[in-house]
Amino acid sequence: MNLPDLMLQIVYGRLAWALVAAALLLALLPVTARRTKVLIVAATAALMALPGPASPAYWLTLALQYPSGLLLGFAVMALRARWHGRQPRFAMRPGLALGLAAIGLLLYLDTFGVLALGLYYGGFNPVAAPLLACAAAVGFAVNAWRGHAAAPSAAMLMALLLFSVLRLPTGNLWDALLDPLLWSWALGSTIVAARRRLAGRRALHRKPAQAGPDLVAARAARAE
Amino acid sequence: MGALPLPLNSPAQQELPVRQPRHTRLLALLCIAAALVATGAETWRWSRSALHRERPTLPVHTGAPITGVTELSHSILPMPAGVPSAHASSLATLPGGGLVAFWWAGSRESGPDVKVYASRWADGKWSRYWEVASRESLGKALGYGVRRIGNPVAWTALDGSLHLYVVATGLGGWAAARLVQMQSHDQGATFTVKRVLPMSPLFNTSTLVRSAPLALADGSWWLPAYFEIGYKYPMLISFNAQGEPQRVTRIGTRTQSLQPSLVSMSPTEVRAWMRDDGKSRRVQQAVSRDGGQTWNDVEATALFNDSTALAVLRLSNGSLLMLHNREDIDGSARSALTLSLSTDARTWRPLLDIVDGGAGDEFSYPAMSQVGDELHISYTYQRRAIAHHQFKINLQGETK
Repeated sequence: MNLPDLMLQIVYGRLAWALVAAALLLALLPVTARRTKVLIVAATAALMALPGPASPAYWLTLALQYPSGLLLGFAVMALRARWHGRQPRFAMRPGLALGLAAIGLLLYLDTFGVLALGLYYGGFNPVAAPLLACAAAVGFAVNAWRGHAAAPSAAMLMALLLFSVLRLPTGNLWDALLDPLLWSWALGSTIVAARRRLAGRRALHRKPAQAGPDLVAARAARAE
Repeated sequence: MGALPLPLNSPAQQELPVRQPRHTRLLALLCIAAALVATGAETWRWSRSALHRERPTLPVHTGAPITGVTELSHSILPMPAGVPSAHASSLATLPGGGLVAFWWAGSRESGPDVKVYASRWADGKWSRYWEVASRESLGKALGYGVRRIGNPVAWTALDGSLHLYVVATGLGGWAAARLVQMQSHDQGATFTVKRVLPMSPLFNTSTLVRSAPLALADGSWWLPAYFEIGYKYPMLISFNAQGEPQRVTRIGTRTQSLQPSLVSMSPTEVRAWMRDDGKSRRVQQAVSRDGGQTWNDVEATALFNDSTALAVLRLSNGSLLMLHNREDIDGSARSALTLSLSTDARTWRPLLDIVDGGAGDEFSYPAMSQVGDELHISYTYQRRAIAHHQFKINLQGETK
C-alpha cells in the first residue's frame, strides 16, 4: 500500500470538487461568452478554497470523500469542450458506461460482503495495481493517438497519471477509476443506451412490414 | 454530472484519413506524454520499494501453566466533569512498563460533544484524563468535516511511538464510519493525524475498529477491523513497523461476524474470535494457516455471545485468556463479564467472573493487556464510565 500524503489529499479534494462543480455548472448553464466561463470556473475554485466549513468542499468531502481521478478527468474534458463551444453530452459512451457500470457492480457487491473476492483490497496490490495502471495508460495513449475516443482516453490518462505519480486520490487504483457518483452516471448512461437500442430494434422490426410492397415492386421493375 | 465533450465519430469519419484539428493532435500528444510519465513513475517507485514480509510472532512459552488471577486493585478511570456517557476503552502498554487507556465520552453515544480521552496508569493509579480527539480537532486536521467520534484502538510500536485508530463518521450513523490514523511520539500526550485509511470504495464508509492489534515478528502489526452496512464481516489491516499500512484482507466469508480479536498460535497459524451478530449466539471463529494471508471460517465455539464485544489475549506463558459476556440467566446479554482460559485455543474454561449484575446492567466492550506478571483489564461500566481491574497472574508452582 502506497498512500498519498494528507496535505496532498486536501489540496486534491478542493481542486477536484471545484473542477467537477464548474463542469456541471457550465454544462447546465447556457453560457457562450468565454469571459463568463472563466468567471464561473474562477468563482467555483475560489469558493472551494475557502477555509474550513466555509468551503463547500469541506462538506462534499465529509459526505462523499474525494472524486475519482476519472470523474475529475471527465470534468476537465467537459470544461475543455465547453471552452471550444461544443454542446455538452450528458450520456457517457455506451461501451465505457457499460464497462464502468459492470466493474462497479462487482466492486460494490464485494464491498457489501455479498461476494468475498477482496477486489477493492487488490487495488492496493504493490505489483498488480501499478502493472494494470501502466498497461491501461499505454492502451489509452495509443487509443488517443489513433484519434479514437480522444477525450475519454485523455480523462482516463489523467486519472492514471494522478494515481501513478501521486497515488491520488486514496492510493487505491479503484478509487482512481471509479467512485459512486461516476458509477451512477455510467449506470444511467447504460440504461439510456439500452433503452435507445431496444427502441431502435423495435422500429426495425416494424419497418419490414411497411417496406415489403416497395421491395416487391423494385424486383418487379428490375425484371422488366 | 459533467458532460462529455466528444463529438461522435461517424463510421465514415473513422475510415477516412481526416486531418485532426490542432488541439486534438495536441491532446493526443499529451496523452502519450502522460502514459510515459505514469509508466516512468511506477518503474521508479517499484525500483525503490522494499518487500514487506509479514510473519506472526513465534509464541514463547515462558513459565508454567496459569492457575488463576488475584485481584490487586480496581478503579474507575477519571472522567471529565458533567460528562455522563463513556464507552469502548482500549489499553496500550508504554515503554518502561506503564499503561495508557483511551476511550470515548460525551453526553451520549454519537453526540456532537463526544471526544476521545486518555489517562496514564503509573505508580498504581490513573492520571488526570486529557483530550485526544474531537470532531473539531479531526475536522481541522483532515480538511473536511467529521460527524461523530467512536471507538479508539491504541497500539505501541517497537520504537515507542503510540498509534491510535479512531472511528469517525461521515454523513450518517455508524454505517458511515471511517478510520482516522493518528500517531504520537510523546507517549500519547499529543497526536498528529496521519490520514483517513482508505477502506472501501463506497465513499470510504462503514469500516470500524474495536479490538487490540496483534504484534508480528518484525515489529509490524495487524489491526483488526470490520465492515458493517447490512452484512457484517471482519477484516485486518496490516501495518509495517513504521506504522504505514501494507495490505487489507477479509477474515473468512461469514457475513454476521464482527470485531475480530486476533492471536497467533504459531509462525503460520493465526486465530480470530468474533462477536456474533447472527442467530447462533456463539463466539464465532476463523483460522489462518498461512500466516494471515488467507482465512477459513471455523465452527463457532461453545461460548455464549449475544452480539457483544470480546477480547482475547495470549499471555507470555502461552495461555489464552478471553474476556467476554457470559450467559446470565437473571440478567441480560451484557450484564456479566467473565474471564475464560484456554491452552489449546479450542476448549475454554471459566476462570473468574469479573462482574455480575442484573437485568439492565451493562458491563461490556472489554480490553486486556499484560504488563510483566500483571493482567490489566478495562471495560465499559454501565455506559457511564470505564472500569479498570489489576490482577496478578498466578502460575503453577509460584507462591502467591
